Amino acid sequence: MIIDILAGAVRGGTSIMYAGLGETISERGGVINLGTEGAMLLGALGGYAVTAETGNPWLGVLGGALAGALLSLVHAVLVVSRRANQFASGLTLYFLALGVTALFGVSYVSQQINAFTPVPVPGLSEIPGIGPILFDHDPLVYIAYVAAPVIWWVLFRTRVGLLVRTAGERTEALEVHGYSVQAVRYCATVAGGALAGIGGAHISIAYANSWFENMIAGRGFIAVALVIFAMWNPIRIMAGAYLFGAALSLASVLQTSGIAVNQFALNAVPFVLTLVVLAVLGRRTMLAAPDELLKVFDNSRTT
Amino acid sequence: MSQETEKAAPPLPPPPAPQTTDGRGRFLSRGSTLLRWVGALIAGLVVFGAFVLANGADPFAVYADIWTSTLTQPGQFQQIVLRAAPIALAGLAVVVPARAGLVNVGGEGQLIIGAVAAAGVALWLTPVASPWLVMLLMVLAAVVAGAAWAGIAAAMRLVVKVNEAVTTLLLNYVALYSMLFLILGPWKDPAALGQSTSVELNDAMKLPVFAGTAIHVGVALAVVAAGAVWFALSRTTWGFRLSVVGGNAEAARRAGLPVVTLLLTALLIGGALAGLAGFIQLAGMEYKLRPTFGLTIGYVAFLASWLSRHKPLPLLIASLVLAAIAVSGNSLQIGSGLPAASVNILMGLVLLAVLGWTSPRKVRS
Repeated sequence: MIIDILAGAVRGGTSIMYAGLGETISERGGVINLGTEGAMLLGALGGYAVTAETGNPWLGVLGGALAGALLSLVHAVLVVSRRANQFASGLTLYFLALGVTALFGVSYVSQQINAFTPVPVPGLSEIPGIGPILFDHDPLVYIAYVAAPVIWWVLFRTRVGLLVRTAGERTEALEVHGYSVQAVRYCATVAGGALAGIGGAHISIAYANSWFENMIAGRGFIAVALVIFAMWNPIRIMAGAYLFGAALSLASVLQTSGIAVNQFALNAVPFVLTLVVLAVLGRRTMLAAPDELLKVFDNSRTT
Repeated sequence: MSQETEKAAPPLPPPPAPQTTDGRGRFLSRGSTLLRWVGALIAGLVVFGAFVLANGADPFAVYADIWTSTLTQPGQFQQIVLRAAPIALAGLAVVVPARAGLVNVGGEGQLIIGAVAAAGVALWLTPVASPWLVMLLMVLAAVVAGAAWAGIAAAMRLVVKVNEAVTTLLLNYVALYSMLFLILGPWKDPAALGQSTSVELNDAMKLPVFAGTAIHVGVALAVVAAGAVWFALSRTTWGFRLSVVGGNAEAARRAGLPVVTLLLTALLIGGALAGLAGFIQLAGMEYKLRPTFGLTIGYVAFLASWLSRHKPLPLLIASLVLAAIAVSGNSLQIGSGLPAASVNILMGLVLLAVLGWTSPRKVRS
């Protein structure tokens, strides 16, 4: 049963991880995107629709990424070019995505698709314990293993990453060197949205293998909170995402093993867990926040 | 360069230039607000029409349908007003904290918790206390519960410095699942067929309606609350101090204002107003908790507050407009077979247009 929970944690945490990684990039660049939830919703429907039409889940992933990127592009236009409030813009886009996916999703409810199936890694999946937990999943889970370290490397060891981080820390330094802060933020926000879209697609074409209204159910908001206590670090995002995956999978595992627990009490667990972790770690982690982001957060500083 | 301008521009569209008495300036700003509103609404309608078209329905038929079923029948207008009341109250829950520069996205959860507390009081006390006492305690419970729910976010903001927008969002889900836990568990009405609900309120606990209409007392309550918030924000020292904190907290702190207390009271009062919205939704509209209780009222209220630029009286109008769109969602579902949630697109588009057109600099001048 422990193995079931842990394997479920990896599977269920993957979507949150993609979204969290995307949000990390965007926030490192100084833009917080509450529309992550909306980008995941659009990604879930986009991924599902493309998979249903083409029969190819890989094209579905691409569709999901495009859908998420498109929504985040709107966010970028509003907050970078038009200087709208980042929270208001993000939440409006969530609302917009809720409506758009409800409207266009009707025809895909209860439609069958050629979803991703688990691909056991030869050899590794035979290892008792670790095998089923880590190496018996759909391909997007494996890509996520690589994505977190790669994004860490790009952010902290390459020139591109330096540009993104500078846009979030010291905009004037970027401008002195002749780069456009706006352009960098556009790129970071759109890239973040694309990753959130992939996270959404993972839910619809690899996790639930179906589409229904509002299927993301708050995972995008968890991802935004996750970024804060992961201290804007992709590797910690990975750990945190699996923690929430575990909270998510606990419910289904307990249910299938016949232990009577109220499902809704368990559904609240990931959210309560997030709040508790934020309360415990919040003060320390906020010290690691990008400077430009703190300006967005602290409309009214108290110290 | 951008650094400089960004420092100059507060993240919130400038909170309420502490009400000047310059009548002409206000008139002008009112005119341009109206213009922006109409433009945003038209832009929203056009884009939404395109979406409807892309989905294979005839946008003109859909709009005609909305028009005849929503706006031309007298009964429907009352429906809109009834829908608008909780939106307005939950919108005030965004307005008050926004004055202090806080973003309360938790109206949804505060409303649900308020309704849950009121329903709990009704459940336990109906058999033992007089109806008036029960009703009074229901209001009290809803207000306190809503404030407490917002208080969690306020505490996290003030003690551990986690942004309230993030925590209030998460608390929405905790509230929703708590309510679902109760109505599918301990509070489940054994007589309910199909969908699980809580036990319906006793008739004595339902809000009385104005004679000859369907409008209940809660609507009047919402209007009074908007007036009270307007007065508190623009005519009292507390309101003035709040807007100072919202404009520049650092300056406010150096001037010796109790910033922490001001932020705390702003969020608590916001939560209390959302809790009150939960009460009137329960006692005036739905009479029992169900899985879709109060669905999206909190989010719509957030949009309404931003549409009205966090001003209490325009908020009433914004609430009416958004309520009309929400009501039209039902006729959309019946008439054109489009899902009711598609009207969220229209609301979202209108606010996007408003957000996009309101560059901080323009508003300032």
